[in-house]
Amino acid sequence: MDGLIEKLQDKSHQIRKEMLKMCIGAGKGHVTSCFSCVDVLVALYYGDLLRCDPQDPDWPDRDRFVLSKGQASPALYTILADLGFYDKSELKKFNKSGGMFAVHLQKDVPGVEITAGSLGQGYGVAAGIALGAKMNMELYNVYALLGDGECYEGSIWETAMFAAHNKLNNLITIIDRNYLCVTDFTENLIALEPFEDKWLSFGFNVVRVDGHCFEEIMCALKPLRSRTCDRPTVVIADTVKGQGTESLCYQPLWHGRAPSGEIADRCLAELDRRYQNV
Amino acid sequence: MSEVTQRDAFFDRLYELARADSDIVIVAADMSAPALDKFRRDMSAQFVNVGIAEQNAILIASGLAIAGKKVFAYAIAPFITLRCLEQIRVENGIMNIPITIVGMGTGLSYDSDGPTHHLIEDIAVLRAFPNVEIDSISDTVMAAAYAELSCDKKLTNYIRLDKDLYPTIYNPDYDFSQGIAQVESGSENIVIATGPMVHVARQIINSPQFEDSDIGLVDVFQIPINESVLLDMIDGAKRVITLEEHFLPGGLGSAVCEVLNDNGVSVGVKRLGLDINAGYKHCYKYGGREIIRSCHGIDKSSLEQVFAEHFCPQTESVTV
Repeated sequence: MDGLIEKLQDKSHQIRKEMLKMCIGAGKGHVTSCFSCVDVLVALYYGDLLRCDPQDPDWPDRDRFVLSKGQASPALYTILADLGFYDKSELKKFNKSGGMFAVHLQKDVPGVEITAGSLGQGYGVAAGIALGAKMNMELYNVYALLGDGECYEGSIWETAMFAAHNKLNNLITIIDRNYLCVTDFTENLIALEPFEDKWLSFGFNVVRVDGHCFEEIMCALKPLRSRTCDRPTVVIADTVKGQGTESLCYQPLWHGRAPSGEIADRCLAELDRRYQNV
Repeated sequence: MSEVTQRDAFFDRLYELARADSDIVIVAADMSAPALDKFRRDMSAQFVNVGIAEQNAILIASGLAIAGKKVFAYAIAPFITLRCLEQIRVENGIMNIPITIVGMGTGLSYDSDGPTHHLIEDIAVLRAFPNVEIDSISDTVMAAAYAELSCDKKLTNYIRLDKDLYPTIYNPDYDFSQGIAQVESGSENIVIATGPMVHVARQIINSPQFEDSDIGLVDVFQIPINESVLLDMIDGAKRVITLEEHFLPGGLGSAVCEVLNDNGVSVGVKRLGLDINAGYKHCYKYGGREIIRSCHGIDKSSLEQVFAEHFCPQTESVTV
C-alpha cells in the first residue's frame, strides 16, 4: 500500500490547494468543512474504493456517493473536476456568473448524486437508494458522508434505526467527526459523545479511524465491498476542521467562510509547508 | 353510496398494479387498512414500514425512487405532509424526485380527533412548491384511477384521501387527465368545489329548492389548476362560489381567483371555506364533521342559504 498512500497524500495536497484557491477566488465556500473531509474523499475517489466513471457519470453500476454535508461541495467539485467529470476551468467560475455550481451541493453537476444543504436529509435518501439496490439485486455500494454537527438532526437517527433494522450493509456511513459546529465545539454545545456507543446501540458495525490517516481510512473501508458484516457500517473519522492550515483550525468562527487577503496567502503557504513536512 | 372508502379503492387498484409491476413499492409509516394488509401479506418485498417516522418515509421513498422504484409514501395526512415539508421541498420540489405522497384523512375527516389530526392548510402550503401536484380526491372511481395515473407521473403528486363514505360521482371509465370536471351543468351560476365539498354542493344543487335554478358544479381535483379548462367551464358565468373544507387563505378559492385574475376574467367570486380568524377553536367541537362545518358556515343548511342569497337573489329567505 506504500505507493498508494504517497499517491493519496500528493493528491490530497493538490485538492486542498486547488479547492482553497477556488474559494479564495470566489470569496465563498465552507473551507474548513472541506479541509476536514478532503482526505476521506481522496481515499474514496483515488484509493480504488468508490467505483465511478467520469466519462459516464450515470453508469448504472457505479457506487453512489451521497455528500449529505452539502456544505463540503467545494472539495467534491474540485475532485470531480480533477477526475474529468467536467473541465477544470469550471473551478474558476465557482459562485460566478455563468458557473455551474456554488456553495451547496447541486444534483445536476456531473458526478453528483443529490442536492444537499439542508442537513439531515441526504442520509435518508442514501438509505433509500441502498434499499432500492437490494430490492433490485444490484451490487453497488452507497457511501454517505455526514458531518458530526449534522447528527444533531433527528432525521439522521430515524434513518440510522431504519438502516440497521433493514440490514443495509451496502450503505456505508462515514462521519466527518471534526468536533466543531458553527458557534462552538460539539462537546460544549450538546455532547455527541459517547458517539460510538450511540451508533453501536442503533445496531451498526462501528469503526473509528483517524480521518487524516490514509492507512486507517483504507483499512476501514476496503473490506466493506465484500459485505463482511450483515449490518450497516459507520466509520467515524476523527478529523480537524481546517486541517492543513494552522490559521483556520480550532476556531469555530471560520465556519462557512473563505479566507481573504493576507490570511489567504498565509493559508496557502501553510498548506505547502505542511506538505513538505509529510 | 360507495361501499368502500377512497383509501380502499386506491389501495385495491394499487394492489392489482403492483402484482404486475414489482417496481411499485409502498413506504408506510405504521399505517394499516384492509386493502393495505392484503398488499403487505401478498407482496411483502414491495412493502416497507418505516415506523412512525414520516420524515424518514419521504427520504426513504425518494431514495427508492432514485433507484428506479415507483413509490407511494403513505401515512395520516397532516403527518406525511406538514411534518415533512422540508423533505418534500428538497427531495421532491428542488430535486424533482417523483414519488406519490398518500395522505389519509384530509380536511376534517378525523372530526373527533382534534386539530392535530385535521388537515386544513395543506393545499395552501403544498401548492407553493414547484414539481408537486395536489390530487384532491372526491370519489372512489377517482381514487382508483389516481392509483394508476400516479405510476406514470414525472413529478411528485400528493393524493388527498377523505375518510368517509360518499356516493360515486364518476363512471368507471371516466378520463381524469384534465384534472377538473363539470359534475353538474349550469351556465349562469357556478360552484367550484374540491374533495368532500363536491358532494355537499351536489346534494344542495339537486335538492328541490334549487331544481329550477341554473347552478353548475365544477370539481377541481388537480392543483395547479388546468387553467384553460376551468376558464371554458365558467365562460359566461355571472356568479361563482368556491367551496372547500380548508382555511380560506391560499386554498382552492385563492387558486381559482388567481386563475381568473391572471386571465382578466371579471366575475364575482364568493369564497367559502374555513375562517382563519376563528383559529382552531372550532376543531374542538365534537359530535360530527357537520358541527365543525356549521361553525364556519359551510354545513349543508348554511350553504343552502348562501347559495340562495348569492345565486337566486330574488328568492326570499325565511324571515322570522
